[in-house]
Amino acid sequence: MSTVEQVTATLPAPEARRQSLWRAVLRTSEGKIGIGLGAFMIGLIVLGQLLGPATDYNVAAPGSGSSAAHWFGTDALGRDVMSRFLAGGSTVLLIPLVAVTLSLIIGGSLGLFGAYWGGRPDVVISKAFDVILTLPPLLIVLVIIGGLGSSNTVLIITVALVYAPGMGRVVRGTAQSVIVNPYVLSAQARGERDLSIIFREVLPNVTGPTLAEFGLRLTYGILFVATLSFLGLGVQPPASDWGLMVAENRGLITVAPWGTMLPALGITALAVAFNLSADALSRVLAGDDLSRLAMI
Amino acid sequence: MSAAATEQDGARRPGACAVTRLGADGAALVVEDLSVGYHQKDGGVLRVVANVDLKLFPGQVLGLAGESGCGKSTAALAAVGYRHPGGIILSGRSTLGDTELLQMRPSDVRLLWGGQVAYISQNAGMSLNPALTIRRHFDEVLRRHAGLSGAQATARELELLKSVQLPDPKGVLLRYPHQLSGGQQQRVSLALAFACRPAVLILDEPTTGLDVTTQTYITALLQTLIAETHVAVMYVSHDLALLSTVSNDVAVMYAGEMVERGPVETMVKAPLHPYTNALLRAVPSARARQSIAGIAGEPPVSVCDDSCSFAPRCLYAEDRCRNEHPESRQIEPLRTSRCFRTEELREDLHIVVDIDRRVSPGQAGAVEEQSLSLLEVDGVSCFYGSRKRRFAAVRDVSFRLADAEVLGIVGLSGSGKSTLLRAIVGILDDYTGAISLRGDKLAHRAVKRPRPVRRQVQIVFQDPASSLNPRHTVSQIIGRAIRLFREDVPHDKTADAVAELLESVKLSRSFLQRYPSELSGGQQQRVAIARAFAARPSLLLCDEVTSALDVSVAATIIELLRDLTSRSGTAVLFVSHDLAVVRTLADRAIVMRDGKICEQGSTEKLFCAPEHPYTIELLASIPDIADVRAGRRLHPEGAPSC
Repeated sequence: MSTVEQVTATLPAPEARRQSLWRAVLRTSEGKIGIGLGAFMIGLIVLGQLLGPATDYNVAAPGSGSSAAHWFGTDALGRDVMSRFLAGGSTVLLIPLVAVTLSLIIGGSLGLFGAYWGGRPDVVISKAFDVILTLPPLLIVLVIIGGLGSSNTVLIITVALVYAPGMGRVVRGTAQSVIVNPYVLSAQARGERDLSIIFREVLPNVTGPTLAEFGLRLTYGILFVATLSFLGLGVQPPASDWGLMVAENRGLITVAPWGTMLPALGITALAVAFNLSADALSRVLAGDDLSRLAMI
Repeated sequence: MSAAATEQDGARRPGACAVTRLGADGAALVVEDLSVGYHQKDGGVLRVVANVDLKLFPGQVLGLAGESGCGKSTAALAAVGYRHPGGIILSGRSTLGDTELLQMRPSDVRLLWGGQVAYISQNAGMSLNPALTIRRHFDEVLRRHAGLSGAQATARELELLKSVQLPDPKGVLLRYPHQLSGGQQQRVSLALAFACRPAVLILDEPTTGLDVTTQTYITALLQTLIAETHVAVMYVSHDLALLSTVSNDVAVMYAGEMVERGPVETMVKAPLHPYTNALLRAVPSARARQSIAGIAGEPPVSVCDDSCSFAPRCLYAEDRCRNEHPESRQIEPLRTSRCFRTEELREDLHIVVDIDRRVSPGQAGAVEEQSLSLLEVDGVSCFYGSRKRRFAAVRDVSFRLADAEVLGIVGLSGSGKSTLLRAIVGILDDYTGAISLRGDKLAHRAVKRPRPVRRQVQIVFQDPASSLNPRHTVSQIIGRAIRLFREDVPHDKTADAVAELLESVKLSRSFLQRYPSELSGGQQQRVAIARAFAARPSLLLCDEVTSALDVSVAATIIELLRDLTSRSGTAVLFVSHDLAVVRTLADRAIVMRDGKICEQGSTEKLFCAPEHPYTIELLASIPDIADVRAGRRLHPEGAPSC
């Protein structure tokens, strides 16, 4: 019985039990790897932007393998792969980030208001979501980019449009389970305005699941934008972009594999980093409720 | 293991369920020195049940009482070999006939469960698989434990369903759990539990969550089945009133230990342990307006070895209690107590029924004298659903409420009592009729009402956990109400006003920065009450405010409400399904059924000389501790006199 720990009647002070979401995420192994990898990749991309793209085109033989001068070889036009890799990360990260944030703002607020008001506005909003969700994302993108031509702005708006219904549904679903709580009724009984109730009572309680969904969508977004660039619908040459680099160098994969491998690895690392972080976040959030049930 | 093997063979013999041989003194289950712990994240073990000794006899019911978190369910389940995930049995023996349950392999114990050992949980709807028909539930049990199948099984299934008095047993067999009502689901669980004529039956709050009248039928049915089958029963419940009406013996648990055990009749009158005394004093009665007293504080989360675990909350604790751990002692042939001072306190611990003669400022009868009542509800009908499929939850209800009067509304779930409160507080759109406050008709939505009007009507909800925003601190929650309704409090004095309110609900300043999840249920409800009183209302609406709480905590909340409202002259509209609570708190009461008022009048008259048959039925159906003290058990036929 020596292993039995004697615990006194008092619970630890609330300050000791309370921990920030951030710390809890970092405590999980997914969180550690995800956020560590993410920080490394973002650092690499920022560094690449600071150094600027290498100006020395055609300095070496096209499609050469790795050497002391070009660590990861050169591409079909003789450009240094590593230099283009360092310079090309920003679009892969920023376009999805801005687009998914935009989809969160548009879809999230529509979902939130729909859930709160219910009735006809809610029906219209959810049906609109459903219509967009029935269309294949690539088809939407083809039509819009085919019509407007490709630019970063068009790319962001298109991706945001594709992802808004998904974000909206998650926010709406979570909000629906929040607004039936008596604390919302209580606010209504106090005579609080709708906007005040939405922002003070509902919004803080949907942030958790929304954040997890945001992380997951970001993963999809990175892959989606990279795919679009690969297909020639996204970032256009001569810009350096990882998706575009994979497409440009895929003919040389047997001769100079780094030209495709390095950007592909970059995309994978980014996607894995965000995915693991999102996983850690949802695990922490789910465990948040479980820990309360765990006692006797 | 040979004993287990025999049991298995017996269980597989077609047509017959195994018969358990009884122990030497006739006990069906003997539990000795049972200790249970939980693994913790830091590698330690939290001991939640310690050294429990129990004996279950055929045909007898042992009640296991105590507040939530005292290890009742854990002990009951561990006694039949079940461990919660993460739980470990630290010591003990549990002998069923001649089988030692705690030493058996899990696969062998599982052969006994559902056969010789049956268990019924609180929520029948959750314990039945929604994807299987009722027949499949029975088939599984009967095939596994009785070797029955085909026509034999069907015959037994129909017989069982008839024995739990389910109408149309053939139809029920084909249905899915969700197609049955809560009471019917619990009957099915009962029939399943009795399917193999178990030797031991564990009941874990089997009627909590059911309406009082359904609860009575289930309890009566249970008693019949116990008498017929001679099963030994362990009945776990925090409801002492109910437990005292169904049990032969009661064991009271506190902090994982058994603090008192003995026959129920003597225990409810003259408990031996101060904790039992405190629990009993917290139980309200519908038969008389008794004073009740809650127990301050909370039970410890694990077993205390160096002191009496109840000492911090005990009225009779002395130095010895804080420094030494008392052992359980035999006081009388059948009674044990774990208290150093049992002998010297015996007289003090006798339960003296104290009739509460305090009169609230707005006593009954004042309504007729007043020309302008505080609240006037005139021909109100409330509706749910869309225009096309409109359902009336409240139909043509009218009543008046005087200043500082406490009016109770009783009725079963679905009687429309909560809906009515929502209409009054202004969170229900669809109602007809007029609700007036001091003669002025109220707008439907609270937003449309002027702020001074809104200030006067405040509400407290049933579930304290969900009535406080989990992302706001206590100070934010109460502060918001102060900022909205209290113009006399300047901005920089808000924190002081909040602290003052917390003090009025007996919470210290240290709660200011806590989040609701860091409070116990009782503390959360206090915060909700403080938030309502922040507005200095003239009418407080209480929607089942004690239903989600333990009896000991509920009593403190009732006391608090009584104290606050009578001091501030606030009128209260108290909605509850618990007649005893309404009797304790209200001057006048209304009985509602299916959205209509059956009867209204002063609580004295309504509870002692009910006229409406429904009121009489309700009063007769509730288990009441006063009846047990007077030597009466449940009264399915008629209401007892006061």
